[in-house]
Amino acid sequence: MLKVYFKELLELTRDKKTLIFTILLPTLIMPIILLGFTTLSVKIAQKANVETLKFAIVGGDYFPELKEVLTNNESLKFSLVDVDKSESVNELINDSEIRFALVISENIRKDIDDGLSGEIEFRYNDSAATSALIYKRVNDAIDSLKVAELNKRYKSIGLTQEQGEAFSKPIKLVRKSTADKRESLGEKFGALLPYILILVGLSGAMYPAIDLGVGEKERGTLETLLLTPVPRFQLVFAKFAVIFTTSFLSVFLSLISFALVTTIFGPMFVNSMGAEASKSAGEVLETLSTVSITDVFLMFSMLVPVAAIFASALLSVSIYARTFKEAQNYMSPIMIVVFLPLILSILPGVKLDWVWASVPITNVSLAIKEIFKGTIDMDMLFVIFASTTLIAGLLLALCNWWFQREQVLFRN
Amino acid sequence: MLEVKNLMKRFRLDNKTIKENKKKSKEMLDRREQGHWFNAVVDVSFSCESGEVLGLLGPNGAGKTTSLRMLSTALQPTSGQIVINGDDVVADPLAMRKRIGFLSGTTSLYHRLTVRENVQYFGRLHGMNEDLLETEIKKVFDLLDIHSFADKKADSLSTGMKQRANIARTVIHQPEVIVLDEPTTGLDVISAKTILDFIESYKGSDVPVVFSTHHLHEVEKLCDRVVLINEGTTQFNGTLDDFRRVSGTGNLYDVFVKLVDEKEVA
Repeated sequence: MLKVYFKELLELTRDKKTLIFTILLPTLIMPIILLGFTTLSVKIAQKANVETLKFAIVGGDYFPELKEVLTNNESLKFSLVDVDKSESVNELINDSEIRFALVISENIRKDIDDGLSGEIEFRYNDSAATSALIYKRVNDAIDSLKVAELNKRYKSIGLTQEQGEAFSKPIKLVRKSTADKRESLGEKFGALLPYILILVGLSGAMYPAIDLGVGEKERGTLETLLLTPVPRFQLVFAKFAVIFTTSFLSVFLSLISFALVTTIFGPMFVNSMGAEASKSAGEVLETLSTVSITDVFLMFSMLVPVAAIFASALLSVSIYARTFKEAQNYMSPIMIVVFLPLILSILPGVKLDWVWASVPITNVSLAIKEIFKGTIDMDMLFVIFASTTLIAGLLLALCNWWFQREQVLFRN
Repeated sequence: MLEVKNLMKRFRLDNKTIKENKKKSKEMLDRREQGHWFNAVVDVSFSCESGEVLGLLGPNGAGKTTSLRMLSTALQPTSGQIVINGDDVVADPLAMRKRIGFLSGTTSLYHRLTVRENVQYFGRLHGMNEDLLETEIKKVFDLLDIHSFADKKADSLSTGMKQRANIARTVIHQPEVIVLDEPTTGLDVISAKTILDFIESYKGSDVPVVFSTHHLHEVEKLCDRVVLINEGTTQFNGTLDDFRRVSGTGNLYDVFVKLVDEKEVA
């Protein structure tokens, strides 16, 4: 059996596609996601914060203070564009001639003086990626106006600014999270990690499974192999072991690359990002680096039976298929079968309990998230490991049974 | 010695064919289709002595490849017996695989391995020790003139080179019986000659060789005995001279056509 195993591995290492899917892709995916996407989002945010925004005011005469605030301070980087009619601003925004427009209500001054809210309409294109950042910049810029008007009101009723603030908010709900940084970050990032790892495991198994099953059938080497005095269950197990190895290798490389990104390359990279961005990204990386070796080992242990499930399921399908193309057609439903339990695990309210611990894929996804957060219940880990291993064993038995059948091996 | 007795193989038809067959009249159905089953081989018997080369003839779909696949143990017979030097192949196929060398159009080499790696791999799977393996590789590579491309990957070889390498794979474990299914199909004259010479080298040895072919000149050149299979049954089993006598002209082509036509009329 070992002879078959090592021969299959040797052959796979001579195949470029396998090397791409099992080594290159898993190694690069974490740096791409963690560093590449972070850089991209930081760059977009930085650009949105410093670029000069063209805007228009409709009804500026009703509230001249607004124009003064936005145009007198050059550091705010707003550039006013003259517009004739309020109707035309929508067109200008959608044509990217201006980024936003402020439409001032006719009665704004009266409403403010009467103690009501004076209304300024913020018109923008919500489909723009940076619309939220632009809204924040405008809101921050007119903050001084809001404060000035508020202070006038407090003064008119004989209150200081502090008393006024207390007056407007008789009860204040102050948020204080008991979760430490890692737990809090784990809740946000922890759902993404199993998603990546499980899909990497699947893609690492997919191509070798097709190659070792239907690929051999099509190339005529499977029949040659069946003529050797090696029991068929040994052939199945050797093939399964190779696919399991590639799947697990993919996951292993992803986790190693994750560890390297968070501990070595990440900090170096973050330092080159500029003060504000590097502070927040640095905090994320610092928190990520608190994931211990034991945690990484636990994640590995969860992914072992998952890789076994993928290996046996994909090999069964591959052995059954008549052609490479037919096998590829079966891969889409398999991806969906893997995606659905993964999506379940990120639904609100789905927590790792005894019921979810027995649902394959979902359980591992939830467990990795909990490990990442540092809140895993070890009893659950045992249940997950046992149930997932059982499923992997059953699928391997099915694959072995499949492999004994002439109708499957010689479907052509 | 190889003995094949009353070999039969039936396959279950797929549901689509069963449905289609229900719509057909009795005359339109293949005579070998019965309900949900297709009898690919109905009754095939022959024997091949050590040192003899037996030519297996028959039109396409006659059941030759299925019969040979049963000889190779790739398929299990529905009934019948295959005996090699007194041992039943069907009873213990795993052990008997060491004693059979089989090559067909569907038994190929690993494309990403070199010829030498391929042959070494299959030798090892047959349980050969390294010293014996290396000796046999040298011997077989000499006979089949493989040394010049022994360290090239199989996917870079021409069809003729591949087939020679494949034959080396077939015989590397010193089988007691060699079964070749159309070994010269698609080959150029020189490659085909190398293979035919190689088969001929077994004449008079202690190894029986069974090979199927559509090339009657190969039968003429090599075979001691001829078996013609048609519609899953042995239609002729005898010496080459007996085969020639069937048509009265002595021409193998005439004999082949005559026998196949007779069966169709029947």
